[in-house]
Amino acid sequence: MLNIALIGNPNTGKTSLFNNLTGTYQYVGNWSGVTVEKKVGVIKNKKGNLIDLPGVYSLSPLSKDEAVVSHFFVTEQFDGIINIVDASQIERNLLLTMQLLEFGKPLIIGLNMTDVAKRRGITIDETILSKLLQVPVVPVIARSGKGTGTINDLLETNHQTESSFKIDYGQLVEDRIKKIISMLPSELSIPKRWTAIQLLEGNAEVTKFIASFENANQINQIIQETNEYVKRELGVPTLARWIYSVRKEFIDQVIAKSVVSQQDQDKSLTEKIDRVVTHPLLGIPIFLVTMFLMFKLTFDWLGLPLSDMLDGFLSGSLTNWLTSGLNALQASDFIKAVVLDGIVAGVGGVLVFVPQIFILFLLISFLEDSGYMSRAALVMDRTMEMVGLNGKAFIPMIIGFGCNVPGVMAARTIEQPRERLLTILLTPLMSCSARLPVYALFVGAFFAKYQALVVFSLYVLGIVVALTLAKIFSMTILKGEFSMFVVELPPYRMPQGKALFRSTWDKGKGFIKKAGTFIFGGSVMIWLMSYAGPGGFDVKMDDSFLAMIGGVLAPILAPLGFGSWQAGASLITGFLAKEVVVSAMNIIYHVPNADSLQGLLSNEFSPLSAFSFMVFVLLYVPCLATVATIRKEAGSAKWTYFSVGYALVIAYLLSLVIYQVGRLLGY
Amino acid sequence: MLLSELCKGEKAKIVDLSSLSETVKRRLLDLGICEGSQVCLQCKMPFKGPCMLENSGQSLGIRLQDASFIRVEKSC
Repeated sequence: MLNIALIGNPNTGKTSLFNNLTGTYQYVGNWSGVTVEKKVGVIKNKKGNLIDLPGVYSLSPLSKDEAVVSHFFVTEQFDGIINIVDASQIERNLLLTMQLLEFGKPLIIGLNMTDVAKRRGITIDETILSKLLQVPVVPVIARSGKGTGTINDLLETNHQTESSFKIDYGQLVEDRIKKIISMLPSELSIPKRWTAIQLLEGNAEVTKFIASFENANQINQIIQETNEYVKRELGVPTLARWIYSVRKEFIDQVIAKSVVSQQDQDKSLTEKIDRVVTHPLLGIPIFLVTMFLMFKLTFDWLGLPLSDMLDGFLSGSLTNWLTSGLNALQASDFIKAVVLDGIVAGVGGVLVFVPQIFILFLLISFLEDSGYMSRAALVMDRTMEMVGLNGKAFIPMIIGFGCNVPGVMAARTIEQPRERLLTILLTPLMSCSARLPVYALFVGAFFAKYQALVVFSLYVLGIVVALTLAKIFSMTILKGEFSMFVVELPPYRMPQGKALFRSTWDKGKGFIKKAGTFIFGGSVMIWLMSYAGPGGFDVKMDDSFLAMIGGVLAPILAPLGFGSWQAGASLITGFLAKEVVVSAMNIIYHVPNADSLQGLLSNEFSPLSAFSFMVFVLLYVPCLATVATIRKEAGSAKWTYFSVGYALVIAYLLSLVIYQVGRLLGY
Repeated sequence: MLLSELCKGEKAKIVDLSSLSETVKRRLLDLGICEGSQVCLQCKMPFKGPCMLENSGQSLGIRLQDASFIRVEKSC
């Protein structure tokens, strides 16, 4: 079995090529760094595995995402590389190719977007390019899969031929390269020349890798000397810069021989769209309108009717079938109660919201694939800069609207460690789709006329709180003056229907899975605890264990407007997953469907306390899965506790203020 | 003159990147932008927000602050 690494710049169609080579679906995105983890698929001819690496500009890492790739090169075993190159940006794409060629592994170049290049007046002679770089060059159309057959065939024959590619960095540097090579241990697992060059270039991952070698200090000394020497003798600012310019010169020669470019053609569609969406005055309003339309679609126009249909089915036909089925089986009352009051009420209460959640995921996928996300980052950068973040932090936050877990992971593309940590800590304040069932339930009961508006206000509140806290944190515990923002704005592309639906499914299936596991288990547990009490089984709900546990919290929550044991108990269970709050309420109030629950709730809550409750659900502790992801991404227990702690405090304070001020105002 | 002083739609050649912070410079180099590159200022966001540049067919956004560390020569 061969292990082939697929690598290329961001936004070159890498993930599309991966999908077409492996035939299994992969999450496709169009903003820098959508692939946040190493993903593996089986190549269609079954001859090997294809490893999908995050899109990077260089093997010398600046961001966490790039560190993942460098780490892969240094530590993992693999047999070959497929390098996807964007023909319309061949110059900068080849900068990465140079470093890959130096690695020496068999390499195939997949030349993508030749059509875009042609429209721009750029024609590439792949035969000459192939001869100059000494590796096969295959023109591909990643989106349609054209050319993947040729790559497949090449993989079978090409994997023996190691590349002997070499760039001459000049006598002075070459001498030092030789010296470093002689000092590296003979059993080194990675190519020595590549290692030496990367060390001279200042690759942090490689430097870390050799730090444990006995010669590490001497090697570092040579690097230092070379750096000084190059500055003095060659008149360049740094050694890395020298290596860069030698490569660039080489690339320029390659391009001069293999690329014909004519004058730029007329304005492209991307430029026309950009003139509107990144308009100095219209940019931010357009962004806000886009967001609002997204929620309008999710709730009012599409999601709501679909959810109502599903609710009708679950609480009507399905419940009737189950009841008659259980009666026919002569099931005991206990079993009937577990199934109908526990599972159907709990799991069904959450499943009802699947249509809305899928629509939201679909719209987020659309924004990602189209290329609008990086424009949003550009438009929002000024605002984000004022609170100590940068525009790129906005992308994880928007993804967080779908689910906080991928949102927290998407923070990897942020170069600055401080800004990345801040983004990780604040992304959970973005109202994820799991919180949506809770809003939908309460909004339906108390704010029927203004559903979209009230829900939108909660999303905005999440953003406002996140930005305010970003400002506070970056002035106090996470100080640091340095911040950076450089964002590539890829051309707009019409998202492909197939890719869109599959990536929606990919994101949404986790939610259904959760309904089958967490929420299923949680529902049975909650039901059991409401069914049993100190007095035995089948007690009155108010004498159950659940009532006792919830009762402890009730006095603490009373100032917020929802001091009942029912609210307390459902909030505790919400830590498992936020939508469990709804399951718990369905079970506690012992109702078959959302409509009757809403009727009951209007006795327990006032519109004001309902709003206060929703705000609390929005902000209090990230769910279990998010906490685990924060732990992994932040790599620190301290910051993980902090993320839970500050959220609780903020949730309590804000709900308190809303409820008390609201009461004073007479609501 | 400085890149930040260009008006919308103006083209210029980059002559000096050396005052720029290391990481921003590295990122620009990664994108193939170095001394000698032609850029066109496409737009500036309001309130001293970032500006959008075009360089041989690619678009990118950088902060105005960073643009003010890049020396350019206006081309007609």
